[in-house]
Amino acid sequence: MTGRVIVAPAVLAAFVAVGAPALAHHVGAYVPKDNAVTTNFKQVKFSVQARKFDVALRLFETGTLRAEMRAHAATLPPGLEDGTRAALAAGDGPEVERRLMIFFAALSRDLALEADRRIARPDATADARVDTGKKFLEAIWRYYNLVDFAVATRDNKASVAVRLAFDDAETYVKPATGGTAPVDPVGLRKPLQRIAQVLSTLIESSSTPPRRNS
Amino acid sequence: MTEADSATWRVPPRWVLLVAVLSIVAAEVGGGSMARFKVELTRWARDGMLARPSVHGLVGVRDVDERILDEALVKFDAGLRLFHMHAEGMGLVIIATSMVAATVIPNAAARRTIIALLTAGGAGYPVGYLVWSALIPSHGLERSKTIAEWLVWVPFGTATIVALWCLAGFVAWAMISRRRA
Repeated sequence: MTGRVIVAPAVLAAFVAVGAPALAHHVGAYVPKDNAVTTNFKQVKFSVQARKFDVALRLFETGTLRAEMRAHAATLPPGLEDGTRAALAAGDGPEVERRLMIFFAALSRDLALEADRRIARPDATADARVDTGKKFLEAIWRYYNLVDFAVATRDNKASVAVRLAFDDAETYVKPATGGTAPVDPVGLRKPLQRIAQVLSTLIESSSTPPRRNS
Repeated sequence: MTEADSATWRVPPRWVLLVAVLSIVAAEVGGGSMARFKVELTRWARDGMLARPSVHGLVGVRDVDERILDEALVKFDAGLRLFHMHAEGMGLVIIATSMVAATVIPNAAARRTIIALLTAGGAGYPVGYLVWSALIPSHGLERSKTIAEWLVWVPFGTATIVALWCLAGFVAWAMISRRRA
């Protein structure tokens, strides 16, 4: 047997093996990244946890978090930005955490309210409204998830209520195993309204600093 | 003794080598352009997506839209990268497999057909990634993928797979024949 006949199948086998995955036209996977707000939040949070309050203050003053607080000032409790800055300057970690929790709860609540408004519009198809709801739910969760632990340590019932409402909302936008999601934008509105309501109550009740000496 | 029985490797036709080399050149030019014009390409894709909000399901709320835009831009970039990678690799696959075909297939018609399939499939398949990327801003992620699949990936990929299996069959047949002889 000549060398050619020995080598040829080996070359072929190698190319078939290597070529097979390439021919499955894979198009890569997408892993959602942090946006500027969540990145800056994490920077500040980790600096506070490391008791590097000067670093946290600098990151807050120059970062997107503060700019967003200013942009959303109309829907936030008064003095949230100044209070956060003061807490960072004073090295008060729990107070910084409380204020950031309020900020992200407010962002999530505003998104839930906006989602509810959009889904209520009769000019779009039911599928389009459910699709919009799904996108808003992803955005709500991205923000709320950052502060859920802080929420749970202060108001466990609120944390559970938001999670349950979120799970409920997801059943309207994610296909069930072996079937398709019921196209019911009206049903999706209820858990969104519940999320907004629970977060509004949380923001209201958390906006007064706790009395530490009592 | 037939041509296919000769003990030396046979060079595939020149046009096949030319196509393979052009594929590799296109991959290199594509890779270089991706790096050189990264900002311009991203801006073009982003502007294209913002001009067609309904295609991409943009809702006009930054917190929601930025994730959709980011995913589309990541996939747009991935398409260009995959074109670079596949065009480079398939150029070499064309050279190697057509050389095997030219060497071991005794029947001229079968040899020409398999070489043509290997060359067309190998050179055409990577273009699908380019098509996919180019269509993302105007047609959205899923629709552009479907177009690229049916226009490029399925026909050219199938051509390559069929040709490779036929070639494997010919190689197996050549081995069996030699054992019997």
